[in-house]
Amino acid sequence: MDLTRRTLLKTQAAAAAAAAANVTLPASAQNILTGEDLQLQWSKAPCRFCGTGCGVMVAVKDGKVVATHGDMQAEVNRGLNCVKGYFLSKIMYGSDRLTQPLMRMKNGQFAKDGEFQPVSWDQAFDEMAKHWKRVLKEKGPEAVGMFGSGQWTIWEGYVASKLMRAGFRTNNLDPNARHCMASAAVTFIRTFGMDEPMGCYDDFEHADAFVLWGSNMAEMHPILWTRVTDRRLSHPHVRIMTLSTYEHRTTDLSDMALIFKPNSDLAIMNYIANYIIQTGAVNREFVEKHCNFRLANTDIGYGLRPDNVLEQRAQHANDAQVSNASSFEDYAKLMSQYTVEKASELSGVPKERLEALAKLYADPKTKVMSLWTMGFNQHVRGVWANHMVYNLHLLTGKISEPGNSPFSLTGQPSACGTAREVGTFSHRLPADMQVNNPEHRKHAEEIWKLPHGLLPEKVGYHAVQQDRMLKDGKLNAYWIMCNNNLQTAPNTNNETYPGYRNPANFVVVSDAYPTVTAMAADLILPAAMWVEKEGAYGNAERRTHFWHQLVNAPGDARSDLWQLMEFSKRFTTDEVWPAQILDAHPEYKGKTLFDVLYANGEVNKFPLSEIDPAYENREAKAFGFYVQKGLFEEYASFGRGHGHDLAPFDTYHQVRGLRWPVVNGQETRWRYREGYDPYVEKGSGVQFYGNPDKKANIMGAPYEPPAESPDAEYDLWLVTGRVLEHWHSGSMTMRVPELYKAFSGAVLFMHPDDAAKRHLRRGQEVRIVSRRGEIRSRVETRGRNKVPPGLVFVPFFDASQLINKVTLDATDPISKQTDFKKCAVKVVAAATADAGDVQ
Amino acid sequence: MSRECHISSLVVHSRPDRVQAISERIGLIEGAAVHGGAEAGKLIVTLETDTESQVVERINAIQLLDGVLAATLVFHHFEPVQERE
Amino acid sequence: MRRSVFLILAGLGPCLAAGTILAQDAPRLRGPQPFTRETPAPPMQRQVTDDVRVRRNYPDQPPVIPHSIEGYAMDLNANKCMSCHARKFTDQSQAPMISVTHYQDREGNTLGGLAPRRYVCVSCHVPQTTAKPLVDNVFTDMDALAEPERQPERGRH
Repeated sequence: MDLTRRTLLKTQAAAAAAAAANVTLPASAQNILTGEDLQLQWSKAPCRFCGTGCGVMVAVKDGKVVATHGDMQAEVNRGLNCVKGYFLSKIMYGSDRLTQPLMRMKNGQFAKDGEFQPVSWDQAFDEMAKHWKRVLKEKGPEAVGMFGSGQWTIWEGYVASKLMRAGFRTNNLDPNARHCMASAAVTFIRTFGMDEPMGCYDDFEHADAFVLWGSNMAEMHPILWTRVTDRRLSHPHVRIMTLSTYEHRTTDLSDMALIFKPNSDLAIMNYIANYIIQTGAVNREFVEKHCNFRLANTDIGYGLRPDNVLEQRAQHANDAQVSNASSFEDYAKLMSQYTVEKASELSGVPKERLEALAKLYADPKTKVMSLWTMGFNQHVRGVWANHMVYNLHLLTGKISEPGNSPFSLTGQPSACGTAREVGTFSHRLPADMQVNNPEHRKHAEEIWKLPHGLLPEKVGYHAVQQDRMLKDGKLNAYWIMCNNNLQTAPNTNNETYPGYRNPANFVVVSDAYPTVTAMAADLILPAAMWVEKEGAYGNAERRTHFWHQLVNAPGDARSDLWQLMEFSKRFTTDEVWPAQILDAHPEYKGKTLFDVLYANGEVNKFPLSEIDPAYENREAKAFGFYVQKGLFEEYASFGRGHGHDLAPFDTYHQVRGLRWPVVNGQETRWRYREGYDPYVEKGSGVQFYGNPDKKANIMGAPYEPPAESPDAEYDLWLVTGRVLEHWHSGSMTMRVPELYKAFSGAVLFMHPDDAAKRHLRRGQEVRIVSRRGEIRSRVETRGRNKVPPGLVFVPFFDASQLINKVTLDATDPISKQTDFKKCAVKVVAAATADAGDVQ
Repeated sequence: MSRECHISSLVVHSRPDRVQAISERIGLIEGAAVHGGAEAGKLIVTLETDTESQVVERINAIQLLDGVLAATLVFHHFEPVQERE
Repeated sequence: MRRSVFLILAGLGPCLAAGTILAQDAPRLRGPQPFTRETPAPPMQRQVTDDVRVRRNYPDQPPVIPHSIEGYAMDLNANKCMSCHARKFTDQSQAPMISVTHYQDREGNTLGGLAPRRYVCVSCHVPQTTAKPLVDNVFTDMDALAEPERQPERGRH
């Protein structure tokens, strides 16, 4: 019994006696808190974790976050959070928070092989700038790069994009969202001419059937799953069909589970298209008015290094993205190969289940919501998979209306807001514009008040390519922010780590905690996180959601926003821009990048007095103007009037987010349909106005095999992924004791028969070996994931079991997104494995 | 043997002219605390002891104080003391 | 090789180990040093099954589960958690009743039983293992801020 409890009991005892004696005790004797002691300052914020974008209320007392709970007023979650969200209060308080810059040093100097020593921000930035200037001078802009994040705030991504593209004149900027939803983003543009879903979360309350394609929503999007299960349990006619390569908590709550062999989802979707065509379920009128048909280039390779035999053998490895105009007849002919027999044979799913699924899509009276995440996107044919599901919705006209919704879920809190809308991909600019389009570059230069011809046209290195170029010594000055890529990139032992330690390279990592990636860097910069800064995220349903800075970051930790802008002060235009441009525009001469990018009359337009006095704002104080507002308003000018309209900055601090386009103060829930979307012309019904002819593309593509399949030696499929309790690489959640103790380390989920065949028992240590490398793990034959024989699942959150040493760096050749869902491995008992086996 | 913690409370009826002195004397008894009630001549006292017999001992001691009319036990709670890690 | 690994770790100690890190668990947060070193897989952790309630960090925190839930059904036909935690079974089970918040649907109406949106208990309530935390968490309990003089030391967990 602790002292607090003793005091409480004594108070109760005294109160009982006082009541018996009819005596009033002085209030000070009560052990119930009153008045100021009870006051907490509650503010709204979006959750820091996945792309759902739940609202949370955050309580602050004496400069510390002391409680969080689900925001009752947030439309997304109406008071609910998942277990990670409920523990947000503790993510900032791991006692190993980084509080000062750390640099590898020897004898007081930077040394690649030195040990980490604390340095000041000035020392850190001086050294960093020295390397950036050297590399720019010796090798030019293409040797400088940055790996950013779908967890950056909108303004952090925007500032990074300006610094890299306009400052250093390189498009070697890519977000970790490349690993996460590049396939979805690319296919939205290819199909609709505009990125991001037409529908929204309101579809959950309208659909009659939910089809989950490779998405374990119960664990990965638990709050959206509450909306699915709510609909299913409250309306008995509703059906949930889940397609996956193994059974899990989502299939537990589904009406039907379709467990298919990796990659065969392509054949299943083509079969459904064929079924729709064969049974006359095509919505002819819709298709004729609103769709074009195209056929994709086939045999497109696997995004491996060009010298890989798989790339050399592929007919269209170099023009994988090309497709050709076609017709309904040609498309129908291609689909006609995909009979139920063929789909069943390729996928291993019984025919009657495939038919039941096809009927849902074909039935005009059933409103279908298709949901997908990493199962589709982390796929060597991820773009095709995305196309194929749109094909089903377009053929039947089940799109852009309540309940009929192909819906791409996202994994990161601002994958949509920061990676896609701001355009932090190596090929993108804000508002869906592309770097290789001269008109788009010109438009960006005008908004940014920069000289014409400044922005580089060449598409930069994407995520996997950055790692390869670091290793090959072609990318030499590299800044990693707000991600843990050495833990999460594919084939890390061979393709990622060597680049970080390449003596020709200077690698900087900004993070809040000493992650695997930080430990392999040359310079670590301590970062502020979440409510330690003012921020904005964009979730999966186009919702932009703001929060205020609520507490200060510890020690010298500073936000990525401050880091990027402060670093820009160390460069003058003369050092980084070509003389030709400066001679033509002498007014830019001698200015710092900070001056031309951020003190440009737009970003620095709003004074400090416009900041809500109830909240701290360190960045604004540091730079002397309301940075976030200036950045947001400049950024918003890209999209206003172009279908990406954002509300005024101050509005977002009042509301629980708004779904763009926000026109005349109204958010848009369903795009492309008259009556819901103000951009659709009267009388047209539906317009996919992202494309010049206002039509969507139905893209025909075949089934093609994966890059690597099990064989006699490597006889198991390896699937990697997440668990509910940990988020991505676990750098935050592993530091919350309750979450760590809820799932205390990665395990190898294996079918009991596969374990028995290898004489393995539950809990035994094993080696998971691929052609790339191996790690040690423990066998789990029970628990939440029930894998079929021949397939194993390993989560990637545990830094002591770096499963990405084993995975394959194959990507979708079009989206360049890695396939983390399938490669071939073998599993052997740790004690008997031959260590020389895989060297 | 595992330790226990006993929390109890009493109403101590006292002669009005002796209340102040009684209150001070009770304050000197180990584990005893006065919470108020002097104006009404009914002192509210809590006891924190390790055993039940100590509760009885303390009540007896209080009853014997000069000017005390009655000491009545109102509340008694006990639970084992858990060792701290 | 082994010696150099040790030196790197020793060098890091003073600047990085602000918090208490148990050496054998550090790879779980930071990975092996150097990255390419092979690390043994830590043993699987035992479940907490003592049924002793654990204090919440703040009032809105969903309580953790102090027992094993291995094999519990959570499907369209059955929810094993409710066989003890539903109001009508708590006198037999002596388990805590589900919170009153769990009776409210998305619109805020109070229902006669568990709201369907709250059906998946394990989205918020998680069991615990006996694993020792990898690093201290210095989160501050609001009570400690409100009444510091009454919190001279932390009690049992």
